[in-house]
Amino acid sequence: MRVEPDEGGLTEQARRLLGPGWVTLGVAGALVAAVLGAGVLVQKAALPSPAPATLAAVRAATWLQRYRLVESTFSIGGGPVVHGQCLQDWFSAGGRRSRGAALQLDDGFVLLAVQPHTLVSRGGSAAERSLSPLVLMELGGCPRVLARRLDTLAQQHRGVTLAHGALSFALKATRVTLTLEPRTGRPLAVRVGTRDTRGVSRIRFATVTTQVRRLMSRSLPVYGS
Amino acid sequence: MTRYAWVATLEQAGSVPLGLRRAEESARRVPVLAWIAGWWLLGRAVIVVTAIVVHHFGPTGWIKHVAHAHALGPLQAWDGRWYRIVAGTGYLLVPGRQSDPAFFPLFPVLLRAGHALGLGYSTAGLVIANLGFLGALVAFHALTRDLFDDSMARRATAYLAVFPFGYTFSMIYPESIVLALIALSALSARRRRWGLAAVCAAAAALARPEGLFVALPLAVLAWQQRDALSPRARGVALGAVLAPAAAIGSFSLYLGNVLGDPLAWSQAQRAWGRAFEPLGVLRAMEGLGRAFAHDAWVTRDVAAVAVYLVLLAAAARAGVTWPWLLSGLAIVVLPLFSGSFDSVGRFGLLAPAAFWGLAALGRDPRANRVILGLSVPLLVAAMATLPLRFP
Repeated sequence: MRVEPDEGGLTEQARRLLGPGWVTLGVAGALVAAVLGAGVLVQKAALPSPAPATLAAVRAATWLQRYRLVESTFSIGGGPVVHGQCLQDWFSAGGRRSRGAALQLDDGFVLLAVQPHTLVSRGGSAAERSLSPLVLMELGGCPRVLARRLDTLAQQHRGVTLAHGALSFALKATRVTLTLEPRTGRPLAVRVGTRDTRGVSRIRFATVTTQVRRLMSRSLPVYGS
Repeated sequence: MTRYAWVATLEQAGSVPLGLRRAEESARRVPVLAWIAGWWLLGRAVIVVTAIVVHHFGPTGWIKHVAHAHALGPLQAWDGRWYRIVAGTGYLLVPGRQSDPAFFPLFPVLLRAGHALGLGYSTAGLVIANLGFLGALVAFHALTRDLFDDSMARRATAYLAVFPFGYTFSMIYPESIVLALIALSALSARRRRWGLAAVCAAAAALARPEGLFVALPLAVLAWQQRDALSPRARGVALGAVLAPAAAIGSFSLYLGNVLGDPLAWSQAQRAWGRAFEPLGVLRAMEGLGRAFAHDAWVTRDVAAVAVYLVLLAAAARAGVTWPWLLSGLAIVVLPLFSGSFDSVGRFGLLAPAAFWGLAALGRDPRANRVILGLSVPLLVAAMATLPLRFP
């Protein structure tokens, strides 16, 4: 059945539908939507967005901060392939407990770096012992070393470049390139270069277990967590 | 028909022509504006002179890097740096670290606008904050006169101009803009200009989360006017009440879009030591002993909470309505639920009811003299110790 429109052009049905309460709600809803939309638009138009490299650095740092144990497979200057484990933990050094990193390689080399001044290494080959501890820790994927630098550079919005899914940045005298998983931004590989050393490493995040800590504690000069 | 006739109501279209009436009103406003500008100038002069003295003679405290940048360096310190970072490079959430999504976007947007006009971010921040405070004083005076009377408005405005924690109004902080917007929003709502009220309330919330609490007085005003408003105007009024929440929602949407985390601002707050929880107040009280031992400056923040609570009680006795009291209470007490007394002195500046309470206490001429006599030296002391503790 056809309903005749009233004087104002509204059908009885439409008038009922658009009763005063509905008009109030409709206008309020429209205003809220306008504030939401205008708010987003103003922010998008007025504020700069962080560069993709900065965002990628934060994502990579978040991955690195999330794990305390990283397993790595690396070679330096085309030399033999070495497997390693880097653990971030609390260590007893100099009579006090401090945070630090321990890198253990499968050839028996162990490197311990504990804040503020402890840097100890033992075992391994003469070539390994002659290498910069920083290069070894970077190739070992020691998470806090890399994460802290990435966070700092990201907050400064400079010093990080992103090209072909790899993040490059400088850390003291080294140039580090992290290859990232495209979808998640998780670091997969590390390439480290200095004036006279080149190294490549594949890294994998792992969970710290009692067994890992026990093995570490046996081989480390100082340990206690 | 003149242009004015279009806006004339039947009441206004009485014996005096509207143009003439407006001219008279403008003439009456000039001395009031000059009086407000005088108080603004006095308060800001005290702050600027103290900042220059601090710049030359110290203490440098924690703000070494900006204190000596130039004469007004101390006014750019603390959070001013973060607002400049947001304006310059946008938001970035660094999990577990203090990062900038903790700072709301309107002030950085204004800094960028100032920058587009050729000002540096720091200069733009100082200009906007200080001119914003002049606007805040004018709007606050008008609102107070609307709610109470002229003498109350004068006292409250003068006290606000030289309030000891008010040095923040001259720093690169959004407080002055937010106070102006809160007052304008309420004033517009009282005059049934709900569209403007909505814009101001939304902008206030987009500048500081405390802007959300203006929704309380707006809600009560909308309810009181409900019979006098058309259904459409009622909708605008309801929209104005919801606008601050929508504005905060727009910030979340923006962060979700840019950083992939709509709650980035809440996450960042956590890294600043602010995690809201139901028993946060107890945690704040419990941690007081430790806080005193670690840093005696917490005394200032605890004293600020006590002072604001006393002022709100005075406001209640003076007849300030409950929505304003409740919004003031929320501004002063809610931060304690994050487990910390930090910065409440600054947050309380956005509770107009506290200044109405102070103005009520100042009715007695002797009390008035004591309040003004204490405020100026305390303002100087607060400004002089700015390098030692964040506001």
